[in-house]
Amino acid sequence: MKMTISDAYGLNDVLEAFSQGREVYAPEADGHGHYRLVRAPTWLPGRHTLGAYRQTEPLKVLFFQPREFLGTFTAEADREPIPERIVFGVKNCDLSSLQIHDHVFLNGGGCKDPYYAAAREKTILVSSDCDDFLDVCFCAGVGEQPYALKGFDINISSTPAGVLFEVETDRGADLLRATARYLKPANPALLDAVRTQRKQKHETLAVHSEKHGVKPGADLRHALEDSFGSTLWQDFAADCVECGACNFICCTCHCFLLADGVNADSEPARTKQWDACLLRNFAATAGGHNARPLRTQRLHHRFDKKFSYFPKVLGRYACDGCGRCTEACIAKIDIRDVLRRAIDESDALHAHSGDC
Amino acid sequence: MSPTLYMPIPATVEQIKDETPLIKTLTIRPRDPMAFQAGQFVELTVPGIGEAPFTPSSSPKIDERMEITIMRAGKVTDKLHELSASAEIGVRGPFGRPYPIDDFKGREILIAGGGCGVGPLRSLLLALAEDLDSYKRVIVRYGARSPLDVVFRDAAQRGWNLGGALDVLITVDHDDADWHGHVGVLPSILTEEHLQCDPEDGIAVMCGPPIMMRFTVDTLLDRGYNPQNIFLSLERNMSCGVGKCGHCRLGRYHVCTDGPVFSYDEIQDNPRLWDD
Repeated sequence: MKMTISDAYGLNDVLEAFSQGREVYAPEADGHGHYRLVRAPTWLPGRHTLGAYRQTEPLKVLFFQPREFLGTFTAEADREPIPERIVFGVKNCDLSSLQIHDHVFLNGGGCKDPYYAAAREKTILVSSDCDDFLDVCFCAGVGEQPYALKGFDINISSTPAGVLFEVETDRGADLLRATARYLKPANPALLDAVRTQRKQKHETLAVHSEKHGVKPGADLRHALEDSFGSTLWQDFAADCVECGACNFICCTCHCFLLADGVNADSEPARTKQWDACLLRNFAATAGGHNARPLRTQRLHHRFDKKFSYFPKVLGRYACDGCGRCTEACIAKIDIRDVLRRAIDESDALHAHSGDC
Repeated sequence: MSPTLYMPIPATVEQIKDETPLIKTLTIRPRDPMAFQAGQFVELTVPGIGEAPFTPSSSPKIDERMEITIMRAGKVTDKLHELSASAEIGVRGPFGRPYPIDDFKGREILIAGGGCGVGPLRSLLLALAEDLDSYKRVIVRYGARSPLDVVFRDAAQRGWNLGGALDVLITVDHDDADWHGHVGVLPSILTEEHLQCDPEDGIAVMCGPPIMMRFTVDTLLDRGYNPQNIFLSLERNMSCGVGKCGHCRLGRYHVCTDGPVFSYDEIQDNPRLWDD
């Protein structure tokens, strides 16, 4: 189903119609060149936007909250039911990251996380192609592209030739049918315009990514696996202040802690909250043992998980090139510099072994 | 899917036994019977304090009660050691991959352990004892730091022999005036002098502190054991128990769901296996 906006209407009319009866999450310009994800009772023309690139917050916050109250001791918490929700302007990096969370929270260990599953069930995802990119963006370097190919309910591509709506799911199709009065079938010229625009944006991102050291198609998995004994980890760890910001802001990082304490009524209470593998006690066990006592080991572990573990278990990197970790790092560690060094060292290693 | 994935069920502490100055065995009765297999683990909650993973030391044939042998080593275990009978705690589980005891049938089984690792090994031994004739031979080699640190002391002196059916030898790293047994680290009683075994087809199962397992594996490999037949029970920071929270990852595995029992050939290539 490929549709465009009917002549009598504008994009805001369609998005308002999509949002009827649903809690809305949409990007809003923050006035400093970024977007923040805001919640509203409906689509608000003039305030909401689809965004030219991804917002500051990772999309995971809507499904895997920074802190969830689970209950008091053995009594499961009564939770407010999640309302029907719709998220606008989801960019491909965030959308793709849900594959990681779906793997972990819906399939990992053979069981479902009920809170994550409920949030996914209740949320319609309306993605949109990137019109621009941030300096930290490098999706093309990790095999992604600045537009969504799957994982959305509805995708929006805006071009000078018009706006294209595509669906991937039954509920996306239902929503387009329910708002049919605003829409008409897209003509081949619009499809061509979208194709051309996407190709051009993707090529621009590829050049940008390569300029920063992550050439599209580079074998990051083998580069990382070759890097185990490299001094690169000591070198970057020397700057790292192990604040965990890269973990928390990452669109794919999924680790969490079950934290016990007491609530305001002094009852024993448990929360599920984000954890960060850069933090010293992440792998600590009783008796003072720690599987990764050194920051060097923890930094390596983070990259190993993204570029070696996930390719082994899921056939893809757990990095979508959103660049949030680079923005968030107060030590100014750029993930692309780490990858570039791993790639260069791996290339040198193989060139050398080839000589022999 | 249980909505209580991350929440425990209540369990009552029925009995507390001092094993050593640092180790106690708690007998708990979960509200609902909790069937487990030897080698699997559970998460115990001290309300308001925290949760930690333990492998039961009791027979897996009994599901209405379980014994957990606990070394005092941190925040949660300190509190567990302070509990008195009738205290209420929480339990989740069981989790993980147990010892593949069906594959042990007809073969010789060497059980080698040290320190608190002897808890899971006791559970395995009790499971094997249910059907002792099915196994060619069962051997126990156990190391403790000092005579005072020997866990299940009574059993070690009497019951473990099961009327002479088992070949049991205990060693201590440092003896005292009352100790008349072997002195030395665990690998020192795995030598040809102290262990007649069948490395070619035999199974070796071990559990203990990482440093002990590392050197014990080397000794067993030297004796000719096949890496596929050496089983280790690994300890990592197993938190959620269901393969989601990411704390216990070891290479391509999550120790909580893919382990905690691994054959050595599954993990021997991991350069971080023995990091501690």
